[in-house]
Amino acid sequence: MVSERFKLEGKKALVAGDGRFWVRYAAAALAESGADVAIAAGNSKKVEEAAGEVRRLGRKAVAIPITMNRSGQVQKMVEQAIAELGKIDILVNAFDLVLAKPFLEITENEWQRVMETDVTSVFLCCQAVGRHMLEQKKGRIINITSCLAERGVANGSVYCAASGSVAQLSRALALEWARDGITVNAIGAGWFSEQEKTGAAQEDYLLRFLPLKRYGHPGEIGSMLVYLASDATDWVTGQFMYVDGAVMAHP
Amino acid sequence: MTSGKGRLAGKVAIITGGGTGLGKAMSQALAEEGANIVVTSRRLEAIEPTARQLSELGIKALAISTDVTNSQQVNQMVDRTLSEMGRIDILINNAGLVRGQRPKPIWEIADEEWRLGIDTNLSGAFYCCRAVGKHLVDQKSGKVINVASGFGLRGGRNDYMYCCAKGGTVQLTRTLAISWAQDNVQVNTIVPGFVDTSEWQPEAPPVRMGQGGMGGPKGEFIPVGRFGVPPDIGSLGLFLASDASDYVTGGLFIADGGGMAGCGPTGYAPIIAMEGE
Repeated sequence: MVSERFKLEGKKALVAGDGRFWVRYAAAALAESGADVAIAAGNSKKVEEAAGEVRRLGRKAVAIPITMNRSGQVQKMVEQAIAELGKIDILVNAFDLVLAKPFLEITENEWQRVMETDVTSVFLCCQAVGRHMLEQKKGRIINITSCLAERGVANGSVYCAASGSVAQLSRALALEWARDGITVNAIGAGWFSEQEKTGAAQEDYLLRFLPLKRYGHPGEIGSMLVYLASDATDWVTGQFMYVDGAVMAHP
Repeated sequence: MTSGKGRLAGKVAIITGGGTGLGKAMSQALAEEGANIVVTSRRLEAIEPTARQLSELGIKALAISTDVTNSQQVNQMVDRTLSEMGRIDILINNAGLVRGQRPKPIWEIADEEWRLGIDTNLSGAFYCCRAVGKHLVDQKSGKVINVASGFGLRGGRNDYMYCCAKGGTVQLTRTLAISWAQDNVQVNTIVPGFVDTSEWQPEAPPVRMGQGGMGGPKGEFIPVGRFGVPPDIGSLGLFLASDASDYVTGGLFIADGGGMAGCGPTGYAPIIAMEGE
């Protein structure tokens, strides 16, 4: 049961992302709260999976398999979503291409691929959907990124840089559109895994460090997403919300 | 020092808890640049040897026994500094109980323990700032340095008084910095990491930092792989006490071997290949 405050009935959402698990869980969370959802990502299998989940929850789903690296394609994606849903109230950017390797071994090509997937896509989607939201004078943009936006990890240079870019893009855009009824917030995800990894696996070096002694499950980001997508957050913008099992509070 | 001269000749600095550890390191760094030093501690025997040692550098050093949780004693200490040294330019609020009481569940903490923890690590700094503040503002020149901790920025399990007081210290700094911004009094926070001060207090039984603690027995859980040494913090104290930092106020300066920069266990260096789209 969803509180009236967090209901998304009648809302139309676009979830854009890459091949990682966020797209599916983000789409499901929004649908569960009542939104119809368009899902756009490069991996058509993942897009279909997410659309199926939305339909199972009794909501309308629009599957848009698309690679997000050119503004023309992104524009078409937005047009298709609007054509089928009528409008877009909520944009979730769930781009999370991860790369971790020693800094000197990162090729220019790899740097660009991570930056294009994790940052440029967010830029393009915010621009294309933003135009539409500015006309409506209302909108919700939620960018899912990592709390490594604000901390480092060895071998994580590209990914940390990309995450930091998304966090700062969100803050700046929030201010730019603050008086246009559009809120822009980012979610800083901690350590997540689709497989259940809990305290039983004490040999896991990272797991021992985590305050909750377990990884987050991607579904656990859903309630924050719904909160930020709902009408309850008209006055919440420019924020970087951690969903991290207290990792950022940890020494 | 590049942006300023970093010299302190003729200046007078009060360093609370200045007899040992980080306080002593900062006293030393300031004295080496010519500052006259007042070191305080509850126990006179903890600061008299330091004062004697500092005066060998050719500066005037004074040890004043002060319990910073007692505002009357703080006021007397400041009055005595003014009468014996003639002025005050720098205040370093360093006194505090490192980590304080043994961590325990919140329901086991008595009112008195809470007050003592907050008084020792936060109220003491407040009393000292209050006692020297008018003087610094009137002379339109001054430096205040508050020593906080990583535990003022992050949580420590069951470590209530220390974490809360140090978090308060960060905000005391910012509030003072804003309040005195136009009076040429700069106020900044130092956040030291795990510093091994054991060799600096030979009179005390050596407490090796990190024995069973967070830094690891030899500092291997600190990103740079070692504990801090007192001069690491002394240099930062000098920067913030000198004209090198005249345009720096309300800031938070971390010297911790990279400890606060990470988001995972130290040494965690994953290799993750890029997934196909």
